[in-house]
Amino acid sequence: MSEDAARSGARLPVQALPWLPRPAGKMRDRLAALPADPLQALNDLRALAQAGWEEAELRQLGRKARGILKAAPPSFAAAARKQGLAPVHLLLLSASTANHLADSLIGTAIRFGFLLQLTIAEYEEPEPWLERHRDELKQDPPDFVLVASDNRMLRLAAPLGDEEAAARTVEAALAQVMRIAEVAGAVTGRPVILQTLAGDPDAPQINMDLGLPGSPRQLANEFNRRLASQARQAGHLLLDVDGIAASVGQGAWSAGRYWYAAKYPFAVTMAPLYADHVMRIVAAQMGRSRRVLVLDLDNTLWGGIVGDDGIEGLALGTGSPLGESHAALQRMALAYKERGILLCVSSKNDEAIALEAFRNHPEMILKEDDIVAFRVNWDDKAANIKAIASMIDLGLESFVFLDDNPAERKRVRDALPGVAVPELPDDPSEWISVFQAAGYFEQTSFSREDRQRAGMYKANARRAAQLERIGNHDDYLRSLDMTLAIAPFDQPGRKRIAQLISKSNQFNLTTRRYSEAEVAALQANPDAVTVQARLADMFGDNGMISAVICHKNGKHWEVDTWIMSCRVLGRRVEEAILQHLVTEARAAGASELIGRYIPTARNGLVRDHFEKLGFTKAGEGPDGATSWRLVVGDYADKELPMKIDVAVSAGSASAA
Amino acid sequence: MDGTSGNAQAAILDRLQEIFRAELDDDDLSIGMDTRQADLKAWDSLAHIRLVSGIESEFDFQFNLSEIEEITSVRQFVDAIREHLK
Repeated sequence: MSEDAARSGARLPVQALPWLPRPAGKMRDRLAALPADPLQALNDLRALAQAGWEEAELRQLGRKARGILKAAPPSFAAAARKQGLAPVHLLLLSASTANHLADSLIGTAIRFGFLLQLTIAEYEEPEPWLERHRDELKQDPPDFVLVASDNRMLRLAAPLGDEEAAARTVEAALAQVMRIAEVAGAVTGRPVILQTLAGDPDAPQINMDLGLPGSPRQLANEFNRRLASQARQAGHLLLDVDGIAASVGQGAWSAGRYWYAAKYPFAVTMAPLYADHVMRIVAAQMGRSRRVLVLDLDNTLWGGIVGDDGIEGLALGTGSPLGESHAALQRMALAYKERGILLCVSSKNDEAIALEAFRNHPEMILKEDDIVAFRVNWDDKAANIKAIASMIDLGLESFVFLDDNPAERKRVRDALPGVAVPELPDDPSEWISVFQAAGYFEQTSFSREDRQRAGMYKANARRAAQLERIGNHDDYLRSLDMTLAIAPFDQPGRKRIAQLISKSNQFNLTTRRYSEAEVAALQANPDAVTVQARLADMFGDNGMISAVICHKNGKHWEVDTWIMSCRVLGRRVEEAILQHLVTEARAAGASELIGRYIPTARNGLVRDHFEKLGFTKAGEGPDGATSWRLVVGDYADKELPMKIDVAVSAGSASAA
Repeated sequence: MDGTSGNAQAAILDRLQEIFRAELDDDDLSIGMDTRQADLKAWDSLAHIRLVSGIESEFDFQFNLSEIEEITSVRQFVDAIREHLK
């Protein structure tokens, strides 16, 4: 029934999460039919959570997940992690009511593949709460703290027209939030999520207020602007509640009677949308944001079927509202490319005809060169998406697939549950708003590499062609004229290092996540040996592609973190980095290197990493984690097919 | 009370039972027409608002503010629901 409603053209509001398929049946019945095995039940809940349930039903789902987790044996977490369900502990600090959000958050988290453990401090100023719970937090630090500040907590007020008083008011509120963030960050050692303020629905508001010092709108707006910039500078994460409220309308966002009755910060029906935004940020910070947009062609990138209608018969660009709609979609895709999203094409078409449209249609906004991978043939789309994933070496969980055809969408959703496939209204002019609202490409930071990413993947495709031409892998590597630049962590590299640490899932030995602040602290830590590496070759600069953190532990250097971008797999970079570590260890008089591998659902690629590098196995835990050692004296230097530039920082020179 | 209204009452009570279990977070909870707020420790003022919101979403109507304040028993909930569904 609900699916018919979606198709009949009834427009769903943003809080109904219109990009998700409509749910089938009642949640109560679906929950009653869950299997008894807890892991199986959680997997089923995860599938169930992919639909756009309304608030009460989402809460039932979350409550069920909470119950299962509570009753599960302690060994359960490791088993769940192997299935891609990662535990996340979130501390939510609110001066208003928040407990009613718990199950919505838990239900939403499982949609993102997280088993959420929540600690909620509600109806209390965060600072004294943090002070009181300092010891517990130190012992069991949450992964994330969400400072859910709102108008009621910050009480922004100043006399109208008094510019100085307005500035002081905003400053004091900012100082309060940043103090909470600092305390929470110090206690937990983890990134803190800060919120912008939605407008106060009870405050008078006229058109001039945005520019009138001391008006509620001016104060909130100024606060939001300053908060966003301070959060960025301090390495905190930003949840733009004001933007979310604007997307549904301030009136709809407002809790109204629920504020008067129970101090709810926003309307009950908005909980699924709020929770979705919270989990987007968590997912992005945990390296689970999406990075690839796969586009269909006929009736998606353009109106009409190029094989039947010919290039001149396509609806694209000026001249028709339909053509304008498709052109707008192309512009949107191009804007995502600018943010580092890889664009690919999967279409059932004749490849030559499709390419001709790219080359010769005067109003095509996307050019052939913007597309990292084309799969244009008559094969199954799910198979094509899989082929693209292996071509560009990214997991299916990074993919979003945009297609006008409901049957193709369902097919891909069923065959590849990891791929996000947005539901779309019938009318192409409404696609963009639905797609944007889904927020698939959440990012928590932006670096130079993001803008260049598409170019890097294209260069990789050219390297693959060179390898094919030369045949012998070592000859090929030598032909690339590679330079590996190695340096300890430094300030200019910090953003990208933190990004690598938060995003890498496959070539990541321990999957330990560190914030930008923690990366900065490591830089100054004399007991830490840090490595960042950039690789350039004749086809271009790959940018920063590897980061390693070692703890000295006297003579037994322990590799805490070893991350490499999969773009440079097979280039012997890891061997060069090991050689560098051994050289440093020798100079410092260390006797051995100790490595650790902690398995996750996604890092099977590096299971044998240390073995391949010549380490010997020192132990294995019940969860499959292994430890390895390499006696520094036993290592013989290797001839590697690249030039290695080592920058020595003042710190490491004096340590040696 | 005639048979039809007795049936309607039982049907509402059935749905309320589920809502009470969910909102008071107690799968073993069993309520009857005579259950009062004073009888259930978990039915505090915040739980009361969760019940109101759960019922509003289940039965698709909105309570009046005075009802929210005055209701202190399952029977009053059932009566108010029947009034709104008329």
